Amino acid sequence: MAEAIHKKLQSELEKYQQLQKDVSKSMSLRQKLEAQLTENNIVKEELALLDCQNTVYKLIGPVLVKQDLDEAKATVSKRLEYINGEIQRYETLLKEMERKSEQHREVLSSLQQEYQRAQGQAVGKV
Amino acid sequence: MSRDSQREDCLHVVKDCRSQIEHWNKVEKDYESLQERLRTLPDKLSYDIMVPFGPLAFMPGKLVHTNELTVLLGDNWFAKCSAKQADTLVEHRKKHVKNALDDLQKVMKNFQNRADFTDDLKKLTGDTEGFLDIREEVINEEDFTKGKHRLAHKPNSKPKQEYLLELEEDKEKKEEDEERKTGLLSEEELWARLDELEREEELQDERFRLDSTDTNGEDTTSSSEEEKEAESGSGVQVNGHQKENGWVPSSITSQMNGTNGSHPEDEEVEDCDEEAGNGLPTIYFSHTAEFKKVRINTGKNTTLKFSERNEQKAQAKRKKKSGKRNGHSHEGYKITSPADIYRVFVDLVNGEPIPRKSILKSRSRENSVCSDTSESSTADFEERRAAFGRSWSHDDATHSDTSDGFTGEESPTGTSPRTNGRFEAFTGTVIEKDPLSCSIPHLTIAPPALPTIPERKLEEVGPEALQEPPKRMSKFKATRLHQT
Repeated sequence: MAEAIHKKLQSELEKYQQLQKDVSKSMSLRQKLEAQLTENNIVKEELALLDCQNTVYKLIGPVLVKQDLDEAKATVSKRLEYINGEIQRYETLLKEMERKSEQHREVLSSLQQEYQRAQGQAVGKV
Repeated sequence: MSRDSQREDCLHVVKDCRSQIEHWNKVEKDYESLQERLRTLPDKLSYDIMVPFGPLAFMPGKLVHTNELTVLLGDNWFAKCSAKQADTLVEHRKKHVKNALDDLQKVMKNFQNRADFTDDLKKLTGDTEGFLDIREEVINEEDFTKGKHRLAHKPNSKPKQEYLLELEEDKEKKEEDEERKTGLLSEEELWARLDELEREEELQDERFRLDSTDTNGEDTTSSSEEEKEAESGSGVQVNGHQKENGWVPSSITSQMNGTNGSHPEDEEVEDCDEEAGNGLPTIYFSHTAEFKKVRINTGKNTTLKFSERNEQKAQAKRKKKSGKRNGHSHEGYKITSPADIYRVFVDLVNGEPIPRKSILKSRSRENSVCSDTSESSTADFEERRAAFGRSWSHDDATHSDTSDGFTGEESPTGTSPRTNGRFEAFTGTVIEKDPLSCSIPHLTIAPPALPTIPERKLEEVGPEALQEPPKRMSKFKATRLHQT
């Protein structure tokens, strides 16, 4: 009896740990997105400072590709929107994962109690 | 402790903020030097420079197109612009950096404040400087009330018992735990202590006015000894602090702990020496047991109880006989509070304590009785009256239940006591009584400043006292009756 509980406890624990890892990964991704967001905001502002006489290039791999200023502005805006969307997605994902990890935590604690009780009984029996 | 961990967290955040601020400051500096370079670059069409070749080699070369710059805008975007436009871009970026710096500063300040706050909190509770630990070791189980609690008007409700209970609990704790560290007293204890201290202060102020410095203090304290022997009181020991001698609280007698060797330890006083574990200078505090309540007679409603009067007076007499005589009441009884005055200065008539009549005539004090302030003859009566009347400025009907400041000074037989009194609270009449013995300073010789609050134990004194005042007061009474 105690053995079974012990095994269950272990499996639950592993699941919980996995969940925690996922949470932290999502968290870091989200942070990266945040940084990109700020960066693209700055690019947008600086593009606004330029006039059409300046040529704009985009680095694609090892190549600097000439871009139109307006095109560049549009591209940057689109990218910004994309980044915002990503951030929202990650937000919801994180919340979901948080909830799941909470559930797992409860299960774990109850299992632990059971296990201890079983242990106690086993000791008592002996 | 959570406080410590909190503090550590705050400090950690502060450290992070500091490092980040450093980083951003560097960035700003870089941008500024860049701006300098941008300003000087277009000055010449081309520059002769040493061009780095790899990590270890340089080659002479030329810098051309000095006004054409390719600027990284971020996120793999580049733009070709002139030096001046680049300058503008750099300015724009510097603005962002400044914003980040400001935010970091704010955060750092916040967390620093938090850390400081927890620091202060810790210091407050743990610091030993400037703080005194006041401990009260309560010895007597019964003597923790100054008097009866007031009965509620409603028949079924009880008088307040909370304070009592608190004391009992704490008393037990204290009696058990002598090794108690400098923990803070409970709130109620503190409030109670505060109240007591306030009262003591008031009394002290009064005493100061009337006292004559050292001798008085000694006397009071020494007579307090006697008192304590008579009663199951206990004294306040000031641990390492020099208290003023003249300051004797009403219900608490103070002793110098070790500094004033004239006071032998009372058996009632717990031996509360300094505990080595205490980092704090400690005042050991204990209550004297109160006499039965002595109330001042301001009229027809007050009563007086002289429960231990006889004993005290006997002691005082003995002491007086034994010899050294001050002008003080230390001869056998200790006046530690104004209330003591009324207890002390009573006549012994047929072995019964009778409160002395006040010597002042006062309409407001009909039937009032107070201790006589002198044993001198009636020839001095007028003088006395005048003296009392002079100083009788502030003492009025409030005497009814209060004890005024009492000097503790007792007039020597020869001298006129009245002149000393600056605050004679005396409004009754004084019945001249024969001094018990002229050679022996009379017990009932009251200090000139003796308040005239009359004392009377109606049950015992009763008729005798009653008869005399009426005689005296008849004139006034008559006039009053005439008026009304």
